[in-house]
Amino acid sequence: MMINSTAILLNGGAPVRVGFIPLIDCAPFVIAHEKGFFKEEGVDVVLSKEASWASIRDKVAFNVLDGAHMLASMPIAATLGIGTIKTSMQTSFTVSHNGNGITIGNALYEQLQEFAQTPADIPSGLALKRLIDHRGEQLPPLRFAMVYPYSSHNYQLRDWLSRAGIDVDKDVQIIVVPPVKMVDSLKLGDIDGYCVGEPWNSLAVEQGVGHMLVTGYDIWGSTPEKVFGVNTLWAEQNPMVHFAMIRALEKACRWVDDPENKTELLNLLSQPDYLNCTVEQLVYGFGSVKPKGQFNWPMQAYQRFSGGDINKPLPSYALWIMAQMHRWQQLGHVESLNAIAEQVYRQDVYFEAFGLDKPVERTWCLSSQEEAIWLDSVASGKITLHPEGIQKGFVKSSPF
Amino acid sequence: MLARPEKELTVMIVDNEPARAAIVEQAMADSGYRVIRRLENAKNLTEAVNKYQPDMVIIDIESPDRDMLENMSRLTKDNPRPIVMFAEEDDSKHVEAAIRAGVSAYVVDGVNSGSVKALLQVAIARFREFQALRSELESVKSQLEDRKLIDKAKGLIMKHQKCDEPAAYQALRKLAMDRSQRMTDVARNIISVMELMGDAK
Repeated sequence: MMINSTAILLNGGAPVRVGFIPLIDCAPFVIAHEKGFFKEEGVDVVLSKEASWASIRDKVAFNVLDGAHMLASMPIAATLGIGTIKTSMQTSFTVSHNGNGITIGNALYEQLQEFAQTPADIPSGLALKRLIDHRGEQLPPLRFAMVYPYSSHNYQLRDWLSRAGIDVDKDVQIIVVPPVKMVDSLKLGDIDGYCVGEPWNSLAVEQGVGHMLVTGYDIWGSTPEKVFGVNTLWAEQNPMVHFAMIRALEKACRWVDDPENKTELLNLLSQPDYLNCTVEQLVYGFGSVKPKGQFNWPMQAYQRFSGGDINKPLPSYALWIMAQMHRWQQLGHVESLNAIAEQVYRQDVYFEAFGLDKPVERTWCLSSQEEAIWLDSVASGKITLHPEGIQKGFVKSSPF
Repeated sequence: MLARPEKELTVMIVDNEPARAAIVEQAMADSGYRVIRRLENAKNLTEAVNKYQPDMVIIDIESPDRDMLENMSRLTKDNPRPIVMFAEEDDSKHVEAAIRAGVSAYVVDGVNSGSVKALLQVAIARFREFQALRSELESVKSQLEDRKLIDKAKGLIMKHQKCDEPAAYQALRKLAMDRSQRMTDVARNIISVMELMGDAK
């Protein structure tokens, strides 16, 4: 391990405390730590493995942690005070894009065959809609799981179901199951399907427990999945440390995406301190290796950590997420969407961290007329994401 | 000390440490609260909450099943909501202490906040106590292991140098002092070197 021993520690006394959830997209945090990238940037970091997103949120809110591997929507929810005490959190670094998928159990898959007029009716959800109509209201509703109420998994699952004409709040039941328990819950029949990140979709396919239907990319295009989220108070008090950590994470993201590092990456991640699993279980998490047959992942749907500016925070994504929260009754009215988006997804910090003398782009800003109808326009489907994802912006149908 | 509850508050404890859960339950009973259910894991957590409708759920902060409760709290107003939502200015110290002690809690709307605070205090105190006990146990265990290592190294030195026990002990101590290492570390080194030479049996 190469560590520049002459590096001066930016954070003099106490190390920076960073939480993570043992999922494959915590890889950049693990690598920045294990390969000494944080140290090279002069930052002493302690990683803390956490058991739930709620725990990450509470510990960052109450300064038990300074920052964490977070769901991209978490700093928004915390700042707005949705499901928690209102605490300003922010992000200036997107760790990853994509990696989600929807998988259903074998029993449900068999039933859908009968309701599919063409094979495309299954991934589109149309066969599921017909089955639900056919089942009527006597039977208990089908159960789908996701990982957290304020997550891309929840919003993508709901979006997919509702595009097929399914009333998400009436026709099905949506519950939370921790990712590591997804495949077992599906096998036991506790749930009929789920939306989760890799490798849990591929593992269900490989073990013959379920059938994967769509990727998150098919639903939303390329979109942020996890971010480096921090307590705003901490960020304001430690700007240099924050910049340095962003640089270290960027380096780690490139390292993670480099195929030459694959073996070392999987070995490190599988350790008891991190994902505590076998290397075989992790293989499907990265790049192009997927179980044979059944489902062909389009290349664009793979989880990505670097390249194409994906690490840059996009306030437009905060606008999108707030509209999802509104659509699913988590969020009522917001005073100023632009202001919240800019306050939570901080591009200026990103530019400063890399010494880029760039004016902050404000092309994403909504006009005051747009701002007034944004939440409802997205909720009613008048505005959608560009099929290739958030970096290409939105598709607005007139007369928005 | 503790405010008397205005109405009987019901509590559910979810903890994968059965011993700790039992201690917390006893302490709560002593303070006049009723624990209606103790769960070791969150299998059927959702069903249990629906069935027993506790006023308060106390759950180990390190439980991966907290996110299930987070979702439940959204579904209807009657379900318990995360205590951090109730952390007003003057309460935030309370909640912070709970988080640091590893306690998290979910509370239904409209219950007496004095009772909630009192219950939280009880849980925090017992969680801390349990943590202290466990650290003590671990340190006793590691002391025992250190002793075993040193004894084994002494035995090897006695055999190799054909000396008696006090002499072996002195040799070990001198090595540790010369290298400014802990006796245990020196013992571990000696054992591994001897094992390498096939001399450790």
